[in-house]
Amino acid sequence: MAGGNQGRTKGLNRGTIPIVARLLSLQTPAQIAIGGARIIAGPGNPSPLTALLRELNETILGRALRFETRDGCSLTLEAAGRRVLRLTEASGLQGAEGCLAAEVLEDENKDDLIKLMEALARPRQELRVTISARGVAGDGVSVGLPVALLADLLLIELNDPNGPGSASDAPPADPEPPAPAARQASPSSPGGSISLARFVQALAPTLMASVIRGGEADGATDGPEEMVTHLQGFLDDETDALHRQLDLVSGSPGSPACMVLGSSMFEGQGVLFARSDDASLLALFEGNPSQSLMRAWAGARA
Amino acid sequence: MGVMDSLGALVKAYPQARLVAFADLSSNMILASQGPQIVTQEHLERLCKQARSSFDDPLFSLTLEAFGEPHSAVLLGPEDVKVFLRSETEPADALCCICDHGIDLAAFVEQLRETLDSISAA
Repeated sequence: MAGGNQGRTKGLNRGTIPIVARLLSLQTPAQIAIGGARIIAGPGNPSPLTALLRELNETILGRALRFETRDGCSLTLEAAGRRVLRLTEASGLQGAEGCLAAEVLEDENKDDLIKLMEALARPRQELRVTISARGVAGDGVSVGLPVALLADLLLIELNDPNGPGSASDAPPADPEPPAPAARQASPSSPGGSISLARFVQALAPTLMASVIRGGEADGATDGPEEMVTHLQGFLDDETDALHRQLDLVSGSPGSPACMVLGSSMFEGQGVLFARSDDASLLALFEGNPSQSLMRAWAGARA
Repeated sequence: MGVMDSLGALVKAYPQARLVAFADLSSNMILASQGPQIVTQEHLERLCKQARSSFDDPLFSLTLEAFGEPHSAVLLGPEDVKVFLRSETEPADALCCICDHGIDLAAFVEQLRETLDSISAA
């Protein structure tokens, strides 16, 4: 089944993939548990969380979805228009008070909601869903949290019919759940590799300080010791978060990318973070690197 | 000149700009967009989220600590260049752009700043 899906989705443009994913999900025979709930992730599934998010993402008309595990933990979420509107019930899970109290789930609730979802949909645990009409109390609530936002934060691809959590539910080759793409060291990144050492060299006139971690230039530093030490400390604490931010902004998890954040648009100072494969670069710049930035990036391509 | 006309003028002046959008970051909404790139509402919502994420931690706090509050972000990716510019007077106002790598970034950003200032002042 998976091989057939790959054959059908290969070569399709990006706009078609979500449609094919939905058609394939409709073709998948439903597994019904005793009591009538539908099993959306079997015990071999490495990412029931993906299946949970896809169920929510498929919910266009207002519905209440009750997700439950075999050990009795459950969450009931009201959803509509690919958005999670409210949490109306939580059982066997800690930290649900804030979301339950919210009349409508908002940005400030997303971290708590994600924690609840992760606690419920643990890897390789059977997950079931029961769908019913929304409660009357939810009428009129129509903002909520976009499922796509939650998926982005969790680095989950909603539209990959062959990915973890797919209906085929094939036994995984890797016993561990998938790591965020940004932290996977890959010998050949999508989009081609970048030599961060050459990138730094080309930007040198505007860089105040720089630190490279990983890759062929691992440990390379430049600039005043105080600044370099500060950058090193920041990388020690925040490397994962920096990669996560780059994944979110680029929309291409794991790909080579460079982000520049400036106090004013290139007139003054700013911070630059770049990655390629398993190498990271963090730098402070002063001046106007906009002219050289594009050339330096293109010239650093392997 | 209205918002749509202002965005249209940018796209006309810079053919490498595939999409220029005016966003309200506080409500996470793209309010207007222009450009040759065909986009769905989901694409626009994603672009707005990317703008918000670019002005978020950890890079935001590092920039804030080192140089003050950031108002501009550029993302060089494998397929395109994204530019996010926040108004210095109306922090929720922002321009979000997707461009080809060949764009004259310095000139484009300068015109973006003028356009954003005029929209925010209107």
